[in-house]
Amino acid sequence: MRHRTYVVLVLLMALIAACGDGGSTDTTTAGATETTTGDTAGATTTAAGEATTMAPEEGSLEGVELSLWGWSSSDAENTALSDLVAQFSEETGAVAAFQPQAEYDVALQAALTSGDPPDVFYVDSFRLPDLADAGALAPVPEGAVSNPDDIYPSLREAFTYNDTWYCPPKDFSTLGLVYDPDVLEAAGVAVPTTWEELAAAAETLTTGDAAAVAGGTAQAGLSMGVEYPRWGAFMFQNGAAMTNEDNTAMTLDTPEAREAIEYVAGLYQDGYAVKPAAVDSGWSGEAFGQGKVAMVVEGNWLPPAMAADFPDRNFAVAELPTGPVGPGNFAFTVCYGVAADAANPEASWALVDYLTNEEGSLAWTEAFSVMPARQSVAEQWISAHPELEPFVAGADYSQRWGFVPGFGDVLSVFNTGLEGVVDGNMTIDQVIADTTAAGEGVLGG
Amino acid sequence: MTLGSGGRVDDPAPAVSLPEAPPIVSEAAPAAAGPLKVKRGKPIQGASGLGWMFSAPALIGLLVFVAIPIVIAAWVSFRDWSGLVSPFDTEYIGFENYNDLLFQDGVRRTDFALSIRNNFYYVLFVVPMQTTLAFVLAVILNNRFLKGKGFFRTSYYFPSITSSIAVTLIFVFLFQTSGAINAILPFETINWLDNAHGLFHNALGLIGVEEPPTWMIENGFMGVTYWQWIAGPSVAMFAIILLVTWTSIGTFMLIFLAGLQSIPESVEEAAKVDGASTFQTFWHVIVPLMKPTIFFVVTIGLIATWQVFDQIYATNFGGPQKTTITPAFLIYFQSFRNSQAALAAAIAILLLLVIMIFTFLQRRLIKSTGDV
Repeated sequence: MRHRTYVVLVLLMALIAACGDGGSTDTTTAGATETTTGDTAGATTTAAGEATTMAPEEGSLEGVELSLWGWSSSDAENTALSDLVAQFSEETGAVAAFQPQAEYDVALQAALTSGDPPDVFYVDSFRLPDLADAGALAPVPEGAVSNPDDIYPSLREAFTYNDTWYCPPKDFSTLGLVYDPDVLEAAGVAVPTTWEELAAAAETLTTGDAAAVAGGTAQAGLSMGVEYPRWGAFMFQNGAAMTNEDNTAMTLDTPEAREAIEYVAGLYQDGYAVKPAAVDSGWSGEAFGQGKVAMVVEGNWLPPAMAADFPDRNFAVAELPTGPVGPGNFAFTVCYGVAADAANPEASWALVDYLTNEEGSLAWTEAFSVMPARQSVAEQWISAHPELEPFVAGADYSQRWGFVPGFGDVLSVFNTGLEGVVDGNMTIDQVIADTTAAGEGVLGG
Repeated sequence: MTLGSGGRVDDPAPAVSLPEAPPIVSEAAPAAAGPLKVKRGKPIQGASGLGWMFSAPALIGLLVFVAIPIVIAAWVSFRDWSGLVSPFDTEYIGFENYNDLLFQDGVRRTDFALSIRNNFYYVLFVVPMQTTLAFVLAVILNNRFLKGKGFFRTSYYFPSITSSIAVTLIFVFLFQTSGAINAILPFETINWLDNAHGLFHNALGLIGVEEPPTWMIENGFMGVTYWQWIAGPSVAMFAIILLVTWTSIGTFMLIFLAGLQSIPESVEEAAKVDGASTFQTFWHVIVPLMKPTIFFVVTIGLIATWQVFDQIYATNFGGPQKTTITPAFLIYFQSFRNSQAALAAAIAILLLLVIMIFTFLQRRLIKSTGDV
């Protein structure tokens, strides 16, 4: 009898431990589980690919299977890219397919871990260092990408890590000052072009506090996320940045950086700028669409979002205001990476070049609001989107969005600190000190 | 007490069996021993093989989806693995990940400490609230004279079977600046989900403690100052606490209800005959008899609350100011957003330890108040 008691007890403990585990390692096991599924899926593709690669002759891609993974942005974009890939298949005889993934990061990670990655996949410039460092990406072979000098240098640099260029950009976006022309006109405010003008415009356009704005009875001048990818642009405009150009040392602890943070934080502290959450919006674009704010700092992704959710909202785009030192902006970009162990490197690079050469990059971007990464087709893109020209102008003075592996930790310290500054429970000095310490831990400086 | 243990004087075994089973099961014990066994406990020829066969599906499931992943996670946590290559191609780095999380001064340790603090306050509020409320609801619903039981049972259970993300999004609307909660409450209009102020700090502010004592902000533990440790859940976290309590009550109510219904009426009647009042019957008869069920609910509640993720992810992605990050959220962030999968595995193992410690303490606590 006593013996049985212990057995039951041990079983119960085991059960409790098991339950505890199942969930706690959930995220890790989820990866492992998906690995298995990814594995089988990948295996079928490769098996089929290998079976067919024996047939084609030199230079021909007849029957070569290629998979292109990306995240899904909109049905229209998925269809457009699928069509472009289908065109490639038709011209070359390859069997290539665009396969948008629902949980992209998780799916890609599972595929890479299991050793069966897709041949070609989207790589965000912020993720590039991680993937390059892990050896998951093949560098661009000599001559695989046509006319590489045509690509904006800052975008090539965004996909260069340790002096190796990994992939050509698919397209890019910059930040702009998006405003409601009717509201500005009614208030007699000219489109701001300097820091002083921006502050004055935001002040004039603000008609109430955040609670009133959230309730729909007032308007705030400016809405902008409290994070480095927005505030950083203002730091650039004052000749500052979080790190040096090579991402080898922190450069946040400078009077220029402090001044830029003080300027932007001041807009929030005075109530002329609001963070989207304070006015019940998920992001600034939503706040703008709902008519709660007159101006936002957002990028090329804003126009399609407006068309989808707020089709009646009137808006115009201007370049970001120029700071005391000069203009500054971020270039957010994504490239087509080729897996280091792609089954068919040649065919993969052929697909990448097809999608990113002059013709391909224009075909891809012409119907959308993202911009081609090649300078030679910028004019043609602008003629299709004259109202978005200020975003293209931003390319001339934009900096890349990418650091070193593990830098996400540092940015989270900075962004959290900025939130504290805006909420009034952190000082700018504290934020700079905390972020610099965190950054030095990652950069090793 | 006498009544509570009366049913099981001869055999303590059922007392620790899963509490879903009726608490008074003196006759169930011999039945559980099963006809497959002879009196002396010697198995019938081939019976053990049969036993293995019958439990094989469950065992294989546990092995493949629970046991092996735990072992792999533990193994991976000692390696330098980004999560972007096969873990077998990685280097052994000893306790470096654990060192980063527990001893090395830096953002990783601070984040981990904050996540433990946030989750601790979350557990501290959610577990007692959901257990008490679910128990009270179950007692009310167990009333023989209540009409429309089915309706109430269904409606209380409904939140539990609704997608957690859907419920979370509704709560986001309720708690936002222009939301219904602010409209009802006569206080200052705030965005609950974007408010990083700690509840305990706020309470201290009410009694006049505006400025923390210097030693509390100058000293700390694991990179978080003592003043921050005692902050309590942030207002945002408190909104999530309310949300989760509301969602989970239904399930636990159902478990309590099953336990209550297994208490024979004769027990209550006997108490009445002995002259016990309704409250006395409840406190001295029903509650002791329900102890195994309470233990079960608290244990499951503890384990689940230490793993909160969905609600965190969907409300504010760990914000405002990291006051809603939890270990489970950090696992996700490090693994899939920051390419530090081995670090995430180390957090998972530490979280497992935390859960085990709390479950053990809780067991000791309930045990010390009487037999379970």
